[in-house]
Amino acid sequence: MELEKNLIDATLEVFASMIFIDIVPESPADHPGDEPDANVFSLIGLAGDLKGILTIQCPAEVALGVTGAMLGMEVTELGEDVKDAIGEITNMVAGGLKVALADAGRKIELAIPSTVIGKSIRTSGLSGATRASVRFASPLGRFAVELRFVLS
Amino acid sequence: MAKNVLLVDDSSTMRKIISRSLRQAGLDFGEIYEAGDGQEALAVLEKESIDIVLSDINMPNMNGIEFLREKSNRPGIKDIPVFMISTETGEDIIGEAKSLGAVGALKKPFTPDKVNEVLGPLM
Repeated sequence: MELEKNLIDATLEVFASMIFIDIVPESPADHPGDEPDANVFSLIGLAGDLKGILTIQCPAEVALGVTGAMLGMEVTELGEDVKDAIGEITNMVAGGLKVALADAGRKIELAIPSTVIGKSIRTSGLSGATRASVRFASPLGRFAVELRFVLS
Repeated sequence: MAKNVLLVDDSSTMRKIISRSLRQAGLDFGEIYEAGDGQEALAVLEKESIDIVLSDINMPNMNGIEFLREKSNRPGIKDIPVFMISTETGEDIIGEAKSLGAVGALKKPFTPDKVNEVLGPLM
């Protein structure tokens, strides 16, 4: 499976179709050990032939800019609009991943996304999971899309 | 006559984007109503004069499939057309939606041009 490529393709499609902000995937070698400091953290559960959690992690300036671009207005507060917008992006990226996996003969189901706002958020759990992670650069800053998964 | 549209999606952001896409696509529509899930959508349909529903599938409380099933049992609203707008594109779930009366489906993410292409004939 080419999960990192699937994540990149799905994320690029969402930003090109509905957000209209240029983003560029980065190689992990470009920023070794340098993870974006996440103030906004959205996750969606995956079940079926691939079980796991897809997350989007972004700093405040990226979340505010992306939300503003989606809503067509300036957004200055990390609140419900931001949680809703980043959650919907996570939902659409997961949807793109679902289509790519279906093409590869693997069927998955998606849960409803959840988003939290805070400082230096980290996740744990899903022991034994494999990690596929992609960083993106944008004019607003960098953000991460990550999948932790176990194949059934 | 311009058609009244009901947007059903648990994401307020997505409802705003769909509404803006309808305007950007230059489609002729009347009032736009909104609902956050299938239950709210049923309440709006019973109360307002709606000509077409654009509905998500994955929603809390009552999802798009459950909404279609419940709507099909209500004589006063069962014939109002529903168009699905969702990340769900699998033939099985879209097939189920169509078997319950959905008239078509549009995949998220979408562009205003795509909205015009698929929804224009319905407006």
